[in-house]
Order: sequence, then C-alpha cells, then structure tokens
Amino acid sequence: MTALTDCLKRHAASTPSKTALIDAYGNTLSYESLFRAVTEAAASMPRTRALVFRASPSADFIIRYLACHEAGVAAVPLERDASAEEMDRITDLAAKADIPEGVADILFTTGTTGNRKGTMISHSAIMADAENLIGAQGFSPSLTFIITGPLNHIGSLSKIWPCLTVGATVHLLDGLKDLSAFFGAVDMAEGKVATFQVPASLRMMMQMARRHIAERSDRFDFIETGAAPMAQADMEAWCAALPHTRLYNTYASTETGIIATHDFNAGVCEAGCLGKPMRHSSISIGADGFISCSGATLMTGYLGDDEATRKVLHDGAVHTADRGSIDSEGRLRLAGRDGDVINTGGYKINPVEVEDVAMAHPAVEDCICIPAPHPVLGTSLRLLVVTNGHAPLDKKQFAAFLASRLERHKVPLLYSVVESIRRTFNGKLDRKSYANATEQ
Amino acid sequence: MLEDLLPFVDFDTDFLFAELDSLGVTTIMMTLSSEYGIELDASDATPRNLKSLDNIVAMVQAKLESKK
Repeated sequence: MTALTDCLKRHAASTPSKTALIDAYGNTLSYESLFRAVTEAAASMPRTRALVFRASPSADFIIRYLACHEAGVAAVPLERDASAEEMDRITDLAAKADIPEGVADILFTTGTTGNRKGTMISHSAIMADAENLIGAQGFSPSLTFIITGPLNHIGSLSKIWPCLTVGATVHLLDGLKDLSAFFGAVDMAEGKVATFQVPASLRMMMQMARRHIAERSDRFDFIETGAAPMAQADMEAWCAALPHTRLYNTYASTETGIIATHDFNAGVCEAGCLGKPMRHSSISIGADGFISCSGATLMTGYLGDDEATRKVLHDGAVHTADRGSIDSEGRLRLAGRDGDVINTGGYKINPVEVEDVAMAHPAVEDCICIPAPHPVLGTSLRLLVVTNGHAPLDKKQFAAFLASRLERHKVPLLYSVVESIRRTFNGKLDRKSYANATEQ
Repeated sequence: MLEDLLPFVDFDTDFLFAELDSLGVTTIMMTLSSEYGIELDASDATPRNLKSLDNIVAMVQAKLESKK
C-alpha cells in the first residue's frame, strides 16, 4: 500500500532540492530535508497506536504528522488552542478504543450527526483523496499551494496530500488576517499558486483586497472552496476578478472524503453546483433526498463509537445529512442540510455544545444557540439568554467565559437577553421556530 | 461599536493584532470604512495599524485627513 511518506521518499530521491514546505515562521524545507526530518522523528516516536498533538502552521507540525504515518501511529491533530484537559481526554479515548490497522489520521469533527467525534481515515483513503484532487483539479509539481486554515480540519489538511503526492510546494500561513502575508506568498512562489478558502474567507478577500487579487490574476492556477454554501454574487465576483483561473466548489466532508468538484469559472456558474464525482468516488441520492457517497475515500469509522459509525456508514456508503440531486449532466446539486448543525464560516457547529457551556455560567437560567445572518460569514451564531436575576449578564465577560471553554469559532458573536426560550410540547428546545429568527 | 461586533476581543491591549482572526480584521476594516466613509483595504490591515485602539484611531484620522 502506498502512503504519503512513500511519495515523500520518492521525491526526496528524485528532486531532493525542490522546496517541499515553507511554514508560517519562515522555515523552508526541501524534499530531502523534510524526508530526513520525518525519518528521524519517526524513529524516536513513542510506540503508541495514536498520538494526540496540536495542529499549527509550522514545519514541526508537518514533520510530526508525517512521522506518525511513517511509524504506523495514527495522527490525531487537535485545534491549536486545545486545552491540556482536552488533550488528555482524547489521548485516553484513543488508548481505550479499537483503532483498526491502516488508520492514518483521526480528525475530530462536528460530524454528520452533530456531535464531536473522532473520524478515522486510512492511508488508502488519504491516497484516494489525493488522486481525486490531482486528477480533477490539476495539482502539478510546479504548483505552490497556500494553506491558511487550521490543519486539524480536512479542508486544509487534505491539501497536504496531493501536494506531497505530486511533489508540489506547500506554503503554510498563520490564518488570513494578514492579507499582505498571503499576497507575499503569492508573489514569492516560483510557479503558479493555488489555495483553499471557505466561502466566508473568499468574501472577506474580495471585500478587502479585490484590487490585489485582480493585479495577480495570472498568478493563480486555481482556487478551491467548500465546506459551506457560496453565494451566487460571490462566485460571480471571483469569476470577474480571475477570468482565467479555475475556481472549484468541492463537496467533501471528513466522513466521506473528497467526493466531487466543479469549476464554476468554466461556463456553469451556479450556486449549489458541486460537479461530478471524482475518480475514486460515486454519489447516489436516496428516496428521502439525502446524499450518499461511496468509494475509496470513505472514513474507516468513528473512534470508539461503533453505534454512531453504523448509523452513518453502512451498505458500503456514508449516508450524509445533506440533501441534493443529480442533474442531467451527472453533476451534484446541493439543496441544503438537515439537522441542528449550524454552518458558520465553513465550521459546522453543534449548538448543543455551545448551550451546554453557556448553561454553566452563573447568570444563565436558560439559553438557545441559533443561526443569525452575518455580512461576512453569511451565518453567525446568536445566543439567546434568559438570565436568572442573580447576577447581571455582561456580554463581554460572558463571551470571554465561553471563549475560555470553546474553540473560537464556536463562540457566538451575537447575544440577546430574552424573557423566555420557546420549547416544544415535550420540553425540548424549539429550534425550528428559531430557524429564521431575527430576534434581538 | 467594535466591542459589540467582536465581543471576545480585548480592545484595551497593545497586542490587538495578535488577538484578532481574519473575521476580526475584516469586521474592523468594514465597520470603520462604512462608519467614516473612508476606503480601507488589505494594505491598511497591517499589524502596525491594528496594534492597538490608538493605532486604529490614528489610521482613521490619517485617512480622513487625506480625504480633505
């Protein structure tokens, strides 16, 4: 079985001085030096079945990640600000769970059904994902792929896979807040560049840097988006700014792998059109309208949760909570998503997780986390709170309280104190009634 | 105004840029641009201009001056 580190070894031998990696801290590693560092790190790796560590845009992270693969240890990258308690909890979970042979990564995601789960991904699925992307989007050795997103999420991590497979250059940046760093990376690349950005980031870039993007239109080979719906107006703005660049909208998830992609700058620029399944994947739509995916990119299962695995992965397919259809050209058309999960800026948030933390605050009697329109993110989180009257609710302190217990993207931007929270007849939160809420 | 839009950001710090993510930077630039009728883009969103509230004020004042 071929693994990413086999490709790394091959490139280290054939193109040793080629730049493999530039990290956010100015470190540059050739294929030869990256391979040597990975081999050394793998040799001293603890003989555990899984290794939990924090993701960061650093060469150290990439070396450790690949060393896990080389050593046969499942890599479990967590968010950069994961607490020591969370690291310990996941380490304990991984130690007790059955991790099948061949599992390369365990990525923690909100998941198809809403709760945070460890999704196990095999070496063969990673290679199938890489080959899907190489074939459909045209990754080449001369490409520099700029990654700005968190490397514990498949959206960004999965771009490492085709780059190392073909011998391209990966350039890691620490987020997208310093756009001059992003354009600096574009300018310093020897060949053309590509990047993956969630729709909210593409909207931010267009609002903040339309001129800078247009000035570099001949530098972008392709740009990929995904993880959330992209507005038609945003798609058209990018087509206008980069008329000769391939612009891909991709259907993927941690559980399914990278399934379908569509260049919306090649004739059909329509929101929700996600293209045809890639080489190792196929799609079917059930009688209920939900999308099912099969093929070599599927997850192995959820870590330590066979029941949850069986609900999602059965009959050789991952059954998603996304609704869609296949058009006459065989392209996937995404119609929407079922369930309570809120997609904000490409992150899928289980509102229950936010509410559970909020309820631990001494001033909170009841609360509900709901979606709210946002000019940049498209959708943001709003927390409606009923206070218990024992203490005033200071919004800033309350947000800081949540931020100390949740990942940043799970902390609501909007807060409203309300008299009561609507519930159904059996006492459950009446989420449907808040689905299009504009309550202040 | 900015505190309402970015409730978990400490605007009193001298390390404001380090506290912000891309949403925070964009929100600040878009809000100031709209509020004061000035043009702000990526080249203004520098670590220096967003280092502190004082630096943000200075950036806005410079933009307002250049408009006159």
